[in-house]
Amino acid sequence: MTSAPVKVNQRKRPRLKVDNWELTIGLTIVGAICLAAVLAPLIAPYNPNQVNILQALQGPSLSHWFGTDFVGRDLLSRTLYGLRVDIFVVALITYAGLCVGVVVGTVAGYFGGWFDAIVGRVSDTVISFPFIVLVLAVVAIVGPGLKGVAIGIVIVGWALYARLARSEMLTMREQPFMLATKALGYSNARAIFRHALPNLIRSSLVYSTVDVVVNMLVLAGLSYLGLGQQAPGADLGSIIAGGQSYLLNAWWISTIPGVVLVLFGLGVSMIGDGVTKGELSMVSL
Amino acid sequence: MSATPLLRIEKLRVSFGKDDSVVAVSDVSLEIGAGETLGLVGESGSGKSLSCRSVIRMTPPGGQMSASEINFDGKDVLSFNKRQLREHRAHNVGMIFQDPFSCLDPTKRVGEQISETLRVNAGLTSARAREQALKLLADVDIDQPERRYLGFPHEMSGGMRQRVMIAIAVASKPKLLVADEPTTALDVTTQAQILGLLQRLREETGMSVLLVSHDFGVIAQVCDRVAVMYGGYVVEVGAVADVCARPQHPYTRALLSSIPSLESAGNRVRRVGIPGQPPNLGEIIAGCPFVRRCSFVQESCSTMDVTLETVGPGHQSACPVMANRFVAVGPSKLPAPSSSADEASEETP
Repeated sequence: MTSAPVKVNQRKRPRLKVDNWELTIGLTIVGAICLAAVLAPLIAPYNPNQVNILQALQGPSLSHWFGTDFVGRDLLSRTLYGLRVDIFVVALITYAGLCVGVVVGTVAGYFGGWFDAIVGRVSDTVISFPFIVLVLAVVAIVGPGLKGVAIGIVIVGWALYARLARSEMLTMREQPFMLATKALGYSNARAIFRHALPNLIRSSLVYSTVDVVVNMLVLAGLSYLGLGQQAPGADLGSIIAGGQSYLLNAWWISTIPGVVLVLFGLGVSMIGDGVTKGELSMVSL
Repeated sequence: MSATPLLRIEKLRVSFGKDDSVVAVSDVSLEIGAGETLGLVGESGSGKSLSCRSVIRMTPPGGQMSASEINFDGKDVLSFNKRQLREHRAHNVGMIFQDPFSCLDPTKRVGEQISETLRVNAGLTSARAREQALKLLADVDIDQPERRYLGFPHEMSGGMRQRVMIAIAVASKPKLLVADEPTTALDVTTQAQILGLLQRLREETGMSVLLVSHDFGVIAQVCDRVAVMYGGYVVEVGAVADVCARPQHPYTRALLSSIPSLESAGNRVRRVGIPGQPPNLGEIIAGCPFVRRCSFVQESCSTMDVTLETVGPGHQSACPVMANRFVAVGPSKLPAPSSSADEASEETP
């Protein structure tokens, strides 16, 4: 950062200890799945949309690890490309919601007054609606497809982060170090974003691991209902929905992508547990 | 005292609650000359902290502040707009708070917190700010400043954190340093070091200091003049030596006589405390705020106006009954700095 002539005895930055097994396993699972999704164009054995009617409804085999669907598309390739869509969209909407919510919540908590009252009422209203119903309403307005789902989930998702950040800000605001930023004549923006935010973002980040799983399932659910990813594009929800009619004679079409979805969710929530645990063990030091 | 004081506060009033029913500070007037150290002493809830925060117009939420004048270095603080007020806080007044454990941002390295002040308030480049911050760390007697620069607040002791706070407060070379009970949370040895540091910095920079404390010993050690506060009023002002030797207000007298001294150590003399409780600020006490606990109370006390009357050169007291009736109490000695446990525990806000 600086080129000061002072020789500095560099100290180790405090690292999150990776000695808890939840974090290790979670990171491994999520890392492997994300890597596979990112590298899909390189490692997918077939074109995901390549129809081969002669190979329809083949069970898992060496040439088709996950089997094929009712028009003979390779399910491994479709799952990989589907994951790509799902992970990208879920990460985007979860962290877009987090950013909006945390910024709105901290600002509301810091200033209080009418802005806080409005933010409080609006976020309470959003939270009191059933999540899926509200997303469906937004999709109905914007139109089916990933865009509608993404907008819907962000519109609903920011509210919880705003509440979380606001309540943390209310206690943070009274902390002497926040008073000190005032006494030093720092701007409100500096006080909020440089000093308060780094101190309260952690709880939102931990909650976001739960949120990622929830959003993944909502996205898959909406695609399953035909409101998310539109044919012929693949995502896990639409693949599972497509296999539904063949569940009795071709179980693999719905089951294997479903298992991948479960694995991903498990991995993310393990990371969340691991991070919380790490935080606690660091506190008890 | 110079002719034009650096800071003059006239008739400061801070109140809380609906229709300002709780008056925490009433008609406080203070003056600090350039290069002077003024002590503000009093028990919990006597309005010390509120009075000194008014210098940068920082009133806690729900508080109402008014004054007929707050003049800093020829400028009218009361008329400042938001921008000017921020400038005033950034450049003119440095502030040290009571609790060094929570006054530093726990997620930032202490060096960065010092250089942040230098960058934002003094406009230095980050390289220059870093250099200057290291110099400041050395200035406040922190060992191995290069190593400590990268440390986090939780890795430091209370005394060290208070030194860092002082470094931040004096970073932009303020004309006035307001120290709000800087040593209350520290043990006695550290307290002596911090007070020594404050004195040294004052001598080196020529800044004025407003030192708030509930410990007369601390005040006597460091200050030129002292203002004694009780129940939101300033009841006595004067040179420290003068006030200690010839206290003119019964409260000051009681406060001084409740301090244990080395001479009385073997005598098994019972320390006389002040009977009763400090006034509840919610109720309005007519006349002198000390009327219920005073051992010299007279009929006229509950009808009088609390106004400071001159009782000696540069020495004013708000007790017309006792004015000039007290003579030197025994050999004129300044109390030694003390920090007994009960005094410290009394200070929980």
